Amino acid sequence: MTSIDISPATLAEAMRLALLRADPSLSRFDPLPRILSYDDFSRGHCGWSQLIGNYENDLDSMLPGYAQHSSAMLSTLGHWDAGSHGGMDSSYALKIATRARPGAQNVAIKRHTFRKRGPIRFELYFTFKPEAKELKLSELDVRSVGFLLDLQCGDKDEGERVMPHLRFLNAVDGKHLQKWQYKRETTTFSSVGNDDKTVSHYHLAPEGWLDLPGGDQRLCYNEIPTKVNWTYLRFDFDLESMTASRLQCNDRIFDLSDFDSIRIPAMKNLWCMLNFCLFAETDVANRAFLYVDSICISGDY
Amino acid sequence: MLPENVTAVLARNERWSGDAASEPYEAGWAREAVFFVRAIKQPVGSIPMAWVEISPDGMHWVGEGTEFRMPSERDAIAVARLSGFGGWLRVKARFDDGAECTVLVTLHLKA
Repeated sequence: MTSIDISPATLAEAMRLALLRADPSLSRFDPLPRILSYDDFSRGHCGWSQLIGNYENDLDSMLPGYAQHSSAMLSTLGHWDAGSHGGMDSSYALKIATRARPGAQNVAIKRHTFRKRGPIRFELYFTFKPEAKELKLSELDVRSVGFLLDLQCGDKDEGERVMPHLRFLNAVDGKHLQKWQYKRETTTFSSVGNDDKTVSHYHLAPEGWLDLPGGDQRLCYNEIPTKVNWTYLRFDFDLESMTASRLQCNDRIFDLSDFDSIRIPAMKNLWCMLNFCLFAETDVANRAFLYVDSICISGDY
Repeated sequence: MLPENVTAVLARNERWSGDAASEPYEAGWAREAVFFVRAIKQPVGSIPMAWVEISPDGMHWVGEGTEFRMPSERDAIAVARLSGFGGWLRVKARFDDGAECTVLVTLHLKA
């Protein structure tokens, strides 16, 4: 009998992976050692609420981009022609629905803070579809779906507020573009109200999106609006250097060497902020739906 | 495990006039629902009735049977309590010419 010399760290990692892969819920993810949250939406909204805009004294002071947002839903992906589609291993998925107006957007957000500046990983299974109002493929109805992180350094750090944005631009004006884009600039900050305490900026404005080099991708849209397939997405980001290290969508891993985030001066009430947003945008007068089966947020700390 | 419940805001600071309705909301997981409609500005003109609609698919709507009068003054709240509503919910109202109400529509769902 031979003995194998294995370090405690190697053994611990092997045990961690064995436990993850034997767990039917987590096995489809590749989380970093610490799981911050796992959302499968069969236990409610799991902290994904609507992104509300800032206001002061009067709701009329909210920027229009935020005013259109509404609460996300728990959906069985119920379709008029085939009934409930369901999620990957439960009946439910999170549903983010736009209004039926060209350019309409909706955003869901999960708000954390971090306790160590190190690597984090955002993984999810998603799909998108337009409302199946017409007996047509309707593959050009959804303009985009995407995600962003809203991050700020700790209060004793020299740092910034950093907002990595990525979207899958599906179609614009009837053109099927199917590519990943990112954003480096937000809109001008506006003062909200008259107490000089609150400002706002609409970072999801249509301007300023840049093509991610090599970021074209054709996804599994399927053949009618009510057939749905789940797509894997992973985004890795380092809170220490505030840089992105990996974007993966299904079998494609994208080069992020040209990627950068929106970077703005640190704000007075947002220290250690670790927010995650998911959004949908329609290109036509038909609702766009972003469905999310499950999300795993993890970190190495 | 405690039963799920959620408060969803379906319309916030929306100025309703003419034919107005909240966005469709999927609520098939819930056994009971309460709509709250609050006027967040002083309503203008005649105060119409509103009603609850249900749907098999979120696209085709039919009256659920519950009706209520829209709030008649700022910060007044109208309420509709529901059960047995299937998968989708919305509220709808029809305003006379010149009438309007700026609303906050909240849906409280409970498993």
